[in-house]
Amino acid sequence: MEDMEKTNSIKNVIEIENVTKDYGDFKLDHISFSVPEGSVCGFIGQNGAGKTTTINLLLDVIKKDTGSIRVFGKEVGADSAALREEIGVVFDEMGFHEFMTGRDINIMMKNIYKNWDETAFFDYLKRFSLPSKKKCGSFSRGMRMKLQIAAALSHHARLLVMDEPTSGLDPIVRNEMLDIFREFVVSEDHTIFLSSHITGDLEKIADEVVFINAGRIVLAGNKDELLEKHGILKCRKEDGEKVSDSLIVHRESGSYGTEMLVNDRYAAAKLYPDAVMEPATLEEIMLHYVSGKR
Amino acid sequence: MKGLIIKDVMCLKKQLMMFVYVLIGVLVISVMFVLSAKLGNLAAVGQDMVRSDSELSVTDVQNMAVEALVLFMLLPLAVVCDISHVFTADGKAGFYKISGAFPIPLYKRLLARYLTIFVFFGMGTLIDIVIAFVLSRLTDLITFREFLGIILSAASVMSIYSALMVFFCFVFGYGKESYAQIASLFSMAAAVILMNLRTIREIMTGVVDREQFSGWEILDFIKYKAWILILIAAFVSLLSYGASYLITERKRGVI
Repeated sequence: MEDMEKTNSIKNVIEIENVTKDYGDFKLDHISFSVPEGSVCGFIGQNGAGKTTTINLLLDVIKKDTGSIRVFGKEVGADSAALREEIGVVFDEMGFHEFMTGRDINIMMKNIYKNWDETAFFDYLKRFSLPSKKKCGSFSRGMRMKLQIAAALSHHARLLVMDEPTSGLDPIVRNEMLDIFREFVVSEDHTIFLSSHITGDLEKIADEVVFINAGRIVLAGNKDELLEKHGILKCRKEDGEKVSDSLIVHRESGSYGTEMLVNDRYAAAKLYPDAVMEPATLEEIMLHYVSGKR
Repeated sequence: MKGLIIKDVMCLKKQLMMFVYVLIGVLVISVMFVLSAKLGNLAAVGQDMVRSDSELSVTDVQNMAVEALVLFMLLPLAVVCDISHVFTADGKAGFYKISGAFPIPLYKRLLARYLTIFVFFGMGTLIDIVIAFVLSRLTDLITFREFLGIILSAASVMSIYSALMVFFCFVFGYGKESYAQIASLFSMAAAVILMNLRTIREIMTGVVDREQFSGWEILDFIKYKAWILILIAAFVSLLSYGASYLITERKRGVI
């Protein structure tokens, strides 16, 4: 009863319902999902699956064709500019001009965001070992991403939206960044929506996972539940033929045996006790779902 | 919005430096020019031209001197009129991606770009007016009022060019600023030709004698009818803003 009350009281920071965006050669097809407050939601999918389009729709950078997008309970579009005060955004590319220094960025940003916190910004620069007087064009990729994160965190945003922030970074910098994200969500009303195709990072940090493929949401839900449900079943080729199709997401057969992703590993293990059942990683789940849809 | 104007000005920092250098150069050259035209070699050349058999009147020689002087005077304005650097820098940095996520509505983001133009032109025009005031004290060739007319006319023509260029930059997209410059120049040339089609036809068909057409009428027009060009510039700027808004709203994510 207490759990139910808790579930009901969870607010969704992002609510996307039946959203469509048609570019002709690519279509975001009736996507729906939500992101609860205080969570880290990993938005996974291969390149070109529709992650950036979804983020741009969320930020009202592009307009949706149909459907509804709500952020903090407010419909995006009507007063998006005000909503964006509460959102920190990090893109895969820095976006700031190469001739700009940390100080220049501070001057610009304090005249853009009402809640810009100069002290917090320079504290972040110090913490991330970013020189405030050096032109950011001379920064490494890791430093550029940290600069973006510093800017995104310095206006007291409640929602951090990030598009592939860890791609192209070495594992040490990636880990450092994940630590920063963890720190951000310590506060209960802080939420992260993070798109990535590096599933390893999401396995470490995400609470929720939304998986998009070719403009459609394939899976959405609690990460631990998804990992718990799915499994990799390995068996001989002839035994594999007997496995019920309703359990199989995708099957890959080799000369020695069959490997398949099943959507209910406990049921499968019970039905086929001779087969080897292994837990699936997010990457395996993603790969099998993508292959299964082809 | 102020933040975006600051960013645009930062993008034009190099141009600002060039503006200062050109300004100093122009100030020195134009002062030397007016002094020479009054007391030095240029004055002697002018007198020789009138005395010779070239059929030039005193007014013709004075007008030629004024035209040369005006060309110097317009150089600083010409430096500030090209704001395509902002588009080039934004495109190179991918700034339009992050600016779309700023808490600034589209119409304000666009307005910031136009205000940058006017801040630059305002600055260029103001400094040119100060120089004109100084020069008008040193020469009898041209009065301060005439100088003012010429500067305001030139600033209006250049702001028409800039307003058209901003519009074409949005039409063609980032990385195609040179196309936007060419399209703006063509549009302006086409407009001038269309407005003077009758005169051009009369000159071409011989209705008006080519020899009689000295071109000094144009100089008189820019000296005394600057208000017409100011009104046209205001109208074109408004039109450009409206059309750019429609384009950026349709394209989304380009500013």
